[in-house]
Amino acid sequence: MNKILSTIISVFIFTSILFAQENDFKAVKDIQKTKIELSKLSENTSSIQSKFIQEKHLSFLTENIISKGEFYFKSPNQLRWEYSEPFEYIIVFNDKNILIKDEDKISTFDTESNKMFSEINNMMIGSIQGSLFTDGERFNVKYFENSNQYLLELDPKLPEMKSMLKTIKIYIDKADVSVSKIKMIESSDDFTSIVFIDRKLNQAIDNVIFNIQ
Amino acid sequence: MNIEHRILNFKIKLQINISKFIFRYSILFLILIISSCSNPYKNLTKTEYPINDIQEIPYALPFSEKALIYKANINFYKNDISGLLIIKKTDNNIYRIALTTQFGLKIFDFELNHGILNVKHCIEYLNKEVIIKTFQTDFNLLLMQNNTEAIYFIKNTEMNQNIWQFSSGKINRYYIQNSESEKIENISSKKRNSEKISVGLHNYKANIPMNITLEHHNIKLKMNLKLIQ
Repeated sequence: MNKILSTIISVFIFTSILFAQENDFKAVKDIQKTKIELSKLSENTSSIQSKFIQEKHLSFLTENIISKGEFYFKSPNQLRWEYSEPFEYIIVFNDKNILIKDEDKISTFDTESNKMFSEINNMMIGSIQGSLFTDGERFNVKYFENSNQYLLELDPKLPEMKSMLKTIKIYIDKADVSVSKIKMIESSDDFTSIVFIDRKLNQAIDNVIFNIQ
Repeated sequence: MNIEHRILNFKIKLQINISKFIFRYSILFLILIISSCSNPYKNLTKTEYPINDIQEIPYALPFSEKALIYKANINFYKNDISGLLIIKKTDNNIYRIALTTQFGLKIFDFELNHGILNVKHCIEYLNKEVIIKTFQTDFNLLLMQNNTEAIYFIKNTEMNQNIWQFSSGKINRYYIQNSESEKIENISSKKRNSEKISVGLHNYKANIPMNITLEHHNIKLKMNLKLIQ
């Protein structure tokens, strides 16, 4: 009985902490100062290496779909997403080229001829490296903060993007000014959240990583 | 025999040979056409199967209460779409079918309600009437949701097959069970006996196929599904 009670209490405490995390964000007062602070993200980040956990929420499913993997970024435009669960899948953005390894099949695309990939590329690199925050042409940006994090809410302006996404929420740790979570909310309120863990900033990454053979 | 005679003789022989050749091959060709279009189950005994007993057909995929998540590769003409295909039965004869990219963004989100596909969301590129109709046909076939006028049961002892034939006008859909494995391993949709869509279902685990291949024979569309969860 005691065990059940303590479980209920701990679940309650845990969920209230979660809610508190979502809710205690307040609008940033000095936006200009925050912008300068956040510009450090793109200026001071030459590379990021991190593990990630991706959660897909669909309203008609009781459980979220979990994917896991590793992610590498090297400034200005090299990115590798490597999914290891639920199956192996690698996507590399290298300058204007996109390489995909799906099981044993490797495909190559170029961002200029493939609009959808080009958008994904811009969004992924832009939200991690910070260039998206200043993209006033394509997004309305709202700034929030709590004691540990900044939260940026990006609402797409362009109709093409709007049809895919309602808001992109980017959580940035104040301690090292690096992105810890991205939440992409679709117009139906279904969402995908990606949490970055074990982040290593500015460590040397071999260029071989951004190639698939 | 003068030379003119010889030439005439040769010409006649050649003509006879050519007509023989054409005659032989046209017969062969006709046989080929007839055999390819004829119903392979024609000579087998066919008994009417009660429509109300549809749930008794040993095909669990349409009746699974669990959300099924497949890794999907769709080849559509020169386009390759890959992601996760989620199929969830939400009520009797109602399903949600969604495809998301690896990054999680939804490509489409459909509701299949008593055989009618309603679009909840679909990227512009695929949101065309012809494409939506095709998806409707495919998911109806896969989830046994087509309107049917009559169902027949056919036993093909020679091939170790038990077949349920769903008839609707000119279209016949065959759910073919391997009587040894006791699993539906093939589905075939035929219009006037010419095969339009074929489905292969393999590696069953807890009555759910781990691998599904759906292929159209009149358009370049192929779907490969691998069960994840």
